[in-house]
Amino acid sequence: MKKILALALAAAMSLSLAACGGNNNGGNSAASNPPAASNPSNSSTDPGKEENKPAIRVGAIYITSQNDVAGYTFQHHNGITTAMRNLGLDPADLIVVDNVPDNDDTAVANAIDTVVNQGADIVFGISFGYINAMNDKAEDYSDVIFSHGTGYMANDTNFNNYFGRIYQARYLTGIAAGMKSLELGNNSIGYVAAYNTDYAETCSGINAFALGVQSANPDAVVHVNVINAWGDEALERQAAQALINTYNCCVISQHCDSAQPQLVAAENNVFGCGYNSDMTEQAPTAHLTAAIWHWDVYYQTAIQAAIDCNGDASKFVENMSGNAYYAGLAEGFVDASPLNESIAAPNTKAVMDAVRDLMISGQWDVFSGQKLSYVIKEDGAVEVHTEPADLVDNQGNVIVAAGGPSVDDGVIKGSMNYNVAGVQEG
Amino acid sequence: MKSQQPLFHVIKREDSRPAQQLLAYVAAVVLALAVGAVLLAVQGVEPLTFYRQMITMGIPGSRYPWRAVENFIKLFVPLLIVSLALSLAFKMRFWNIGGEGQFIMGAFWAGVAGMLLGESLPQPVMVLAMALCGALGGGVYGVFVAALKVKWGTNETLLTLMLNYVALYFLQYFAETKAGWNFFLDPQSARPKFAKFPDNAQMITIPIGPFNLNLSLIVALVLCALIFGYLNYTKRGYEIAVVGDSPNTARYAGMKVGKIVIRTIFLSAALIGMAGALHVSSAGVMSASPTNDVGWTGIVVAWLAKLNTLGILLASVLITVLQFGCQTASSSYPSIDANFANLLQGVILFLVLAADFFTRFKLVLRSRKEAAR
Repeated sequence: MKKILALALAAAMSLSLAACGGNNNGGNSAASNPPAASNPSNSSTDPGKEENKPAIRVGAIYITSQNDVAGYTFQHHNGITTAMRNLGLDPADLIVVDNVPDNDDTAVANAIDTVVNQGADIVFGISFGYINAMNDKAEDYSDVIFSHGTGYMANDTNFNNYFGRIYQARYLTGIAAGMKSLELGNNSIGYVAAYNTDYAETCSGINAFALGVQSANPDAVVHVNVINAWGDEALERQAAQALINTYNCCVISQHCDSAQPQLVAAENNVFGCGYNSDMTEQAPTAHLTAAIWHWDVYYQTAIQAAIDCNGDASKFVENMSGNAYYAGLAEGFVDASPLNESIAAPNTKAVMDAVRDLMISGQWDVFSGQKLSYVIKEDGAVEVHTEPADLVDNQGNVIVAAGGPSVDDGVIKGSMNYNVAGVQEG
Repeated sequence: MKSQQPLFHVIKREDSRPAQQLLAYVAAVVLALAVGAVLLAVQGVEPLTFYRQMITMGIPGSRYPWRAVENFIKLFVPLLIVSLALSLAFKMRFWNIGGEGQFIMGAFWAGVAGMLLGESLPQPVMVLAMALCGALGGGVYGVFVAALKVKWGTNETLLTLMLNYVALYFLQYFAETKAGWNFFLDPQSARPKFAKFPDNAQMITIPIGPFNLNLSLIVALVLCALIFGYLNYTKRGYEIAVVGDSPNTARYAGMKVGKIVIRTIFLSAALIGMAGALHVSSAGVMSASPTNDVGWTGIVVAWLAKLNTLGILLASVLITVLQFGCQTASSSYPSIDANFANLLQGVILFLVLAADFFTRFKLVLRSRKEAAR
């Protein structure tokens, strides 16, 4: 009996401890509230509050933890909270279910129900595998807005999808890689890829990067090493090292989650182009520039459109002017991260800026029958020349005849399944 | 030289009473919640509010309370059936830790039936067919190991464990291989994606106002009663207990141990497979990873309940409330992610198991006298 008493005592002790901790609560979370928040009090933690209701409640379903400090979920979470802050919403009001596996439909459906039940008016799902559940739930809850990242399903009222022309950013990073290889006199460039022609998302990135490389160095070859996973730090590292060992690659680009390929490039005294976030921080001696997303651009547009619905979720697609958001450089949705000028080839920045302007102007796009080349004047000014040329895949098939229009449709609709000439897998 | 004595001995208590044990369980849960409260408070979250939301699963005041109940049932039913099924095997001391694999195989074969026959059969027949295919698929997958054990005395723990991964990757192959023969996938999608089951292969639900009662809940509760009866009032149930206590006694009493093992494991694995079938039918679509870890959680539930059928019912309700409630409660706190929910569950289970241990055993420190002896 004495032991149980002791146990109960211990329990009582830690309970009283908890009570003390509870009192600190206000001070702690106030620090995490931004000053611009419309709800500076700690009311967000009280589900019962009704007064001072925010204009809209935002919900999100994440594939990994909302407390991540890098990677895919981190970028989206950052984008959503930044957008909320810009719109005067309190990020602490964001309703999140995280660590939702995208290969278990019941879990996804359950997570969406939870977020909706907690009061979300707009739900963002960031992983492709959420697609079935998002589609079903958009039908179930016609008074809630659903927005699915990387997907292709949508309806005409309350359900859209969003992704972007990251290939435009990759073309820019390709220029930096090509100019570096020209400077080094080494035509071999490596690319660590999650997948290749299995997904339009991956092969369009490889193609755009290769075309960017060739615009600066027509003799360069892009060697692709596929790891068959979106993220696996050990595999990413091995693949990068293999590219350097086998082909003596002087620049390592990547389409995978971590910064490992850039670290490997740094260890081998070669250079690299990252993805998702600016990886100069991780590999300052190797990383030139990365293709990056500014997700907040989309999230701000979408949340604003949702607010403008004034409670009628069915107007969302109309407010977004379409049910597939596919923005690029022009909207600031994607970009190349600031160039690491201390290691980049001379004049790289000027060329990238000129091509960026050209793409933003809408006069030229990556997958067209127009090839770019650059003339750098004495004073450092850059002239971008366009000349008609066939866009050819690496089997010799002509994809776009010289002078033909861009086939970026193949990226958006997901039908691109080839590599352009100058790309070698394996 | 005196022989080396261990620092302490574990001795079975003679005097452990059920009331005492119950008290220890409650104390363990309270202690675990107190640990959780400290962690919550450190992260700036009001523990009592969090726990209130957790226990009510966010249902009061929510927009669609019946949805939360429906989802609760979808999580609860597989866990209950799997735990019940595992208790059959564990009673016989057959360590079936292959629940995950049997569940996946059940889901897979139910999916095959659903995709191929869903268009042509009426819904009640189709759902029944899926349940039977699932039961057969899971049962065969489990009985394979039982047969090896009976025939050659192989280790069932290792085999069932390894077959979990075989099943997982088997299903993943179908999930990721886009090809003309792969009837599981949606032909419209450029990326591999499971197609939804035809309408007739969706689980039957009984509408009660806005709430849709999932038929599988009724099936699970009926199974619970049947298994209670089977274990306690039938000859076969008695045979399971005898084989579990001592296969030699069973043999001496003239029981055919091999046959009993095979029969029971088939039943156990078939029930798990059927749980998988009911689960995918309720979900309405195949998933590459459909189990929600019930094959593992079911082991914990079965042990927490000491293989007692009614205890399993109670324990699976509590574990589901914990899982589902944690998710709901943590959704509105930026600092609390799903990892915290896992942590809290872990602390609770660990302390309850520790309490269970200390009510049944005590530690006796090596005394000086003993050491000198």
